[in-house]
Amino acid sequence: MARAVTTQRKALNTVIAWGVGILIFFPILWTILTSFKTEAEAIADPPLWFNFHWTLENYVTVQERSNYFRHFWNSVVISVGSTLIGLAIAVPAAWAMAFVPGKRTKDVLMWMLSTKMLPPVGVLVPLYLIFRNLGLLDTRTGLVFVLTMINLPIIIWMLYTYFKEIPNDILEAARMDGAGLRDEVVHVLLPMAVPGMASTVLLNIILAWNEAFWTLNLTAAKAAPLTAFIASYSSPEGLFYAKLSAASTMAIAPILIMGWFSQKQLVRGLTFGAVK
Amino acid sequence: MSTKASRAAARLMISPSVILLLGWMLIPLGMTLYFSVLRFNLLMPGDNPFVGFENYRYFLTDPGFTAAIWNTLALVLGVLVITIFGGILLALLLDQPMFGQGIVRILVIAPFFVMPTVSALVWKNMFLNPVNGLFAHLFTALGLQPYDFLSQAPLASIIGIVAWQWLPFATLILLTALQSLDSEQLEAAEMDGATPLSRFWYIMLPHLARAITVVILIQTIFLLSVFAEILVTTNGGPGYASTNLTYLIYVQSLLQYDVGMGSAGGVVAIILANIVAIFLMRMIGKNLEA
Repeated sequence: MARAVTTQRKALNTVIAWGVGILIFFPILWTILTSFKTEAEAIADPPLWFNFHWTLENYVTVQERSNYFRHFWNSVVISVGSTLIGLAIAVPAAWAMAFVPGKRTKDVLMWMLSTKMLPPVGVLVPLYLIFRNLGLLDTRTGLVFVLTMINLPIIIWMLYTYFKEIPNDILEAARMDGAGLRDEVVHVLLPMAVPGMASTVLLNIILAWNEAFWTLNLTAAKAAPLTAFIASYSSPEGLFYAKLSAASTMAIAPILIMGWFSQKQLVRGLTFGAVK
Repeated sequence: MSTKASRAAARLMISPSVILLLGWMLIPLGMTLYFSVLRFNLLMPGDNPFVGFENYRYFLTDPGFTAAIWNTLALVLGVLVITIFGGILLALLLDQPMFGQGIVRILVIAPFFVMPTVSALVWKNMFLNPVNGLFAHLFTALGLQPYDFLSQAPLASIIGIVAWQWLPFATLILLTALQSLDSEQLEAAEMDGATPLSRFWYIMLPHLARAITVVILIQTIFLLSVFAEILVTTNGGPGYASTNLTYLIYVQSLLQYDVGMGSAGGVVAIILANIVAIFLMRMIGKNLEA
């Protein structure tokens, strides 16, 4: 920016912005801190900031009492599985729509998007009954399927906007050199599309990891991912703040880190390319 | 130009997605419509007779429905107002030159990545709890009476929690839009003696209009379906005080096993969401042509 900014002004900005940033982040920070306290320290009044006995006891307890890692693993399988399956279905579709657009391509894209607008509760009853009759309730297979379908439109859209940015000339040059369709895809297109695909994967794992309508309604003890497992803390017995914090910290840490890497793609993915 | 062969191949590549999404949409939707005209309760096995619009009549005249509609509206509008105003202010702030901008941005967007059940439970217990919550500690330290947020003001508390989750989304999108603003235009205005306020009002705000519309539409789609936050904090109560449409339908279908009524509610929810969706689709479609 060409405008001269005084150091004073910059310092003031810095102070205000950091203040606001820490305020917004505070609930997460507080959860992380509390996870290292004892239960008594967790509810101490006045609150303890850093001067408590740091302990990992809660993390151990959470795992021992509830087999935490089973639910963690469910989350991993469901979010990664649904994303990869979705990607496998979406890549050909997005490729075709980006590079061989027909008269109806735009309509198809818009229609796919419109399936995303369907409120989940509108199809809760039939899906629940279908799942019950097929024995899919409380299975990871069932959830992987549902989350694949939920995120498929987003995956197709994101890939489509990324593929669109690949210049057509390069593909034509490859075709001139006698590259077949397969070569074109494998050797020309995919290497150029990898960054876009990586962002798509990242965003979709995040969305699937945090999905909390179907995971809560279609799972019980066995296939529950972390979203549903954490919900079991809503009717606890005894002191539980530190344990809730430990379980929460483990549940959000991986996604927080992935999310920070994908913040740019987040805008594109969640606005379907309407804001870049 | 694409050849006939490549076009056929393209159709083949698109078809799995189309078939899957078509099935995903039409089968449950058809079932919802069908169930909505049956007397169908899982607790009363029978032949599920056709009852016409009876379920709709019961659903729409249920006292819970009126409450749920108002709560849904309050929830959506409340969160929208907080996140749009807060988001504009935060985006303007984050757009200023400062030290450690990247880190501040990371702190601000973090809540968006917290799963709904975690943020709801953390707020419910560690902040809003009238005995052990941080706010209770703060209130007593200030000599005030602790306030039981979730039973005195359940809906407002849920609005607060959900707004905290969505503020980062609005901020991030508005910031992205703000950064695409031509800085020369702002400099010219500044040289012509425009005050910061008029620069914001006449240059920045019109530029942000599109992004604001996108935020409103997308958030509305998601906010109509808020569920987990209500389930783990208030269970929709006390009474119907924090029951939104999504939660009401959940109660009727999965807790009271009334498939017919739940389905009728589902159809109502779909119609409401579609009204918003039409506007959103139009905006996105325009962008696709550009």
